[in-house]
Amino acid sequence: MRFFAAVALFVLWLVLSASYDLIHVATGAVVASLVVWLSPSGSSHVRRFSWMAALAYIPWLFGRVLKSGLHVSRLILDPALPIAPELVHHKTNLSRDGELVVLGNSITLTPGTITVEVAPGELIVHAIDAKSHQDLSRGVFDDRVSRMFSAKEDSQ
Amino acid sequence: MTWLAIVLIVIGLFFLIVGSIGMLRLPDVFSRAHSLSLTDSLGAVFVLAGLAVYEGFSFNLLRILVVLVLVYFLNPVIAHATIRAAYRSGLRPTKRETK
Repeated sequence: MRFFAAVALFVLWLVLSASYDLIHVATGAVVASLVVWLSPSGSSHVRRFSWMAALAYIPWLFGRVLKSGLHVSRLILDPALPIAPELVHHKTNLSRDGELVVLGNSITLTPGTITVEVAPGELIVHAIDAKSHQDLSRGVFDDRVSRMFSAKEDSQ
Repeated sequence: MTWLAIVLIVIGLFFLIVGSIGMLRLPDVFSRAHSLSLTDSLGAVFVLAGLAVYEGFSFNLLRILVVLVLVYFLNPVIAHATIRAAYRSGLRPTKRETK
C-alpha cells in the first residue's frame, strides 16, 4: 500500500516536472519515497467510502462555491460593506479524521465561511455574515459528507 | 474554443480583482480570509479552466488539470492553517455591525 503511494507521488512528479533527464527523475524518485517514509502509516481514517457519492459531491460543492462566491463579491463591492462577522460553533456528528477533513475543507473552500478550529463533534467556523452560514447551520454540508462516507451505522 | 477560453479567464479575473479589493476593504484577518477563498476557489479555478480549454488535448492539459485538483485540495488547508494560527495566538474577530 505504501509502495503504491510512493508510485503515485512519483507519477505526479513526472506529470508536473518538465524535464526527464537523470537528475530530475532521480530526485523525484528519492523525494517520493522520502515523503511516504516520513508520513504516518496505517490506520484508516474513514469507515467506508462511496465513489458515486464523492463524484456527485464535487459538482454540488462547486455550485455552492459559485453561489456563495457571488454573494461575497456583492458584499465586498457594496459601498456600505454590509458585513456582520461572527464565530459559529457548529455541532456535527461526524467524528473520524477523514470526514472532518472533508467537511472542514469544504467549509473553508466556500467563500463566506472558514474553519477556525476542528475537534471531533465540533467545528468553530468564522462566517462573514448570517446568510453565509445558514445552510451550514441547517446541516446541509454534514448530510452530504456523511452520505459520501455512508455513515449509516453512525445515525443511532 | 478561444472565445470560451476568453470568457472563462475574464470570469476568473473578475473574482481575482474582487478578491484583491476585499483584501483591502475588509477589516481583520478573519474576514480577509474570505476574500482569499474567493480568489482561490473561484478566481484561480476559472483562469485555469480557461487555460485548459485554450490548450486543448495535450500533455499540458493534464498538467493544468493536476494543478486544478491540487488547488482545490491544498488551498483550504493553507487558509485553515493560517486562520487557526491567528486564532490560537489570541486574535479575535472584530465585531463589526452593519452600518
